[in-house]
Amino acid sequence: MTEHSWKELAAPYALGALDRVERAEFERHLETCAECRADVQSFHEVAGQLGQSVTPTAPPRELRERVLREARQVRPLPVRRFVVLPWAAAAAVVLAILGGLGYWRATNEASTLRSSLATAEAERDSTRQVLAAVLDSTVATADLAATGKAPSMRLYWNRGRNIVVVATFDLPPAAAGRTYQLWAIRKGRAPVSIGVFNSSPTGRAVLTLHMPPGVQPEASAVTEEPAYGSPQPTQQPFLVGTW
Amino acid sequence: MAAGDERALGELYDRHGSTVYALARAIVGERADTEEVVADTFGQAWRTAGQFDPARGSVTAWLTTITRTRALDLVRARGRRARVLERAAQESDAGFAAPLATGDAPDRDVERQEARQLVAHSLADLPEAQRRVIELAYFGGLTHSEIAAELNEPLGTVKTRLRAGMEKLRDALASRASRVAEP
Repeated sequence: MTEHSWKELAAPYALGALDRVERAEFERHLETCAECRADVQSFHEVAGQLGQSVTPTAPPRELRERVLREARQVRPLPVRRFVVLPWAAAAAVVLAILGGLGYWRATNEASTLRSSLATAEAERDSTRQVLAAVLDSTVATADLAATGKAPSMRLYWNRGRNIVVVATFDLPPAAAGRTYQLWAIRKGRAPVSIGVFNSSPTGRAVLTLHMPPGVQPEASAVTEEPAYGSPQPTQQPFLVGTW
Repeated sequence: MAAGDERALGELYDRHGSTVYALARAIVGERADTEEVVADTFGQAWRTAGQFDPARGSVTAWLTTITRTRALDLVRARGRRARVLERAAQESDAGFAAPLATGDAPDRDVERQEARQLVAHSLADLPEAQRRVIELAYFGGLTHSEIAAELNEPLGTVKTRLRAGMEKLRDALASRASRVAEP
């Protein structure tokens, strides 16, 4: 490919409009081409703003309650930068995002205790949800393995509740700014994301995700993706298994 | 969960819910699916808040990126086409569809409203052919080859339009942003 034709790929790359093979080839080219890297970065910034071009629309009132209720059922991923109290740490980041530094002065003893209690309660709720999903006669399982020995993963899919319980073993946390993404693989169709996750420094992760409605995967796979996940896998999966 | 934690998520929702909702709606179209995407987006934002890095972009960019990904996932999972493609099909006889992004909806956050209008106007100012390919990629989730097939145009033409359109957007956003920054 000539230099000129590489240059043509920077815009579609930043918009996620390359197919998997083109994407992989272009990423190899990016490693050696500072000019294309600069193009990609500036186009990425543009693409990041396109979503806010739509005219804001007030959501239905009842949606707010649903968002808060569903968020309450999941435990934020452990934040590696703050090893203690993952839930409280995630909340701290959200608060910092909001610029509400004034009201996150939760360093006194009482609030630390409240946070510990909240974390314990969240862990208990999460454990209950995991147990309820797994201890069900209709649950389907899939074992995902890498070609070598470690890491591995076991999935429990409770079809009735549409919940997928993920348990990983010997999986080191994803690199900085990256995340793991679990995919539903179906014959002759594009992979569908089940969700993103990360593992703890001990290589373990136990969490619940939701199977997208109507998806009946034949297999599942895990890739490492840029933070927040990708619309489609950008690399070969390193863990695969069939349902 | 401690009251403060839930308040943080509530505030995030109150600030960005209408943008997330509008973007989800622009991609999936149907109301129940839109709500599904919004709930999913804030769920993922909540779970992965610790990975948010302010140095890499704004909260809006972070949330809209998640929204777009989840919305396109849902469209694909349903075996359907994104709304922008349905619109394109319906309006193909009448030439290009009107821009997806227009309008000056009021926003209490003046700075954010300006940023939004800047992007919306820059997109609307593009030549139609360039705007179309960018919308099909961003809101439709199509690859450039799929866009070429959709529009019945050579792939080379689509690539050129994508690049030219993105360059114009980049320049428009940079020049207007610097004008705003001047005293």
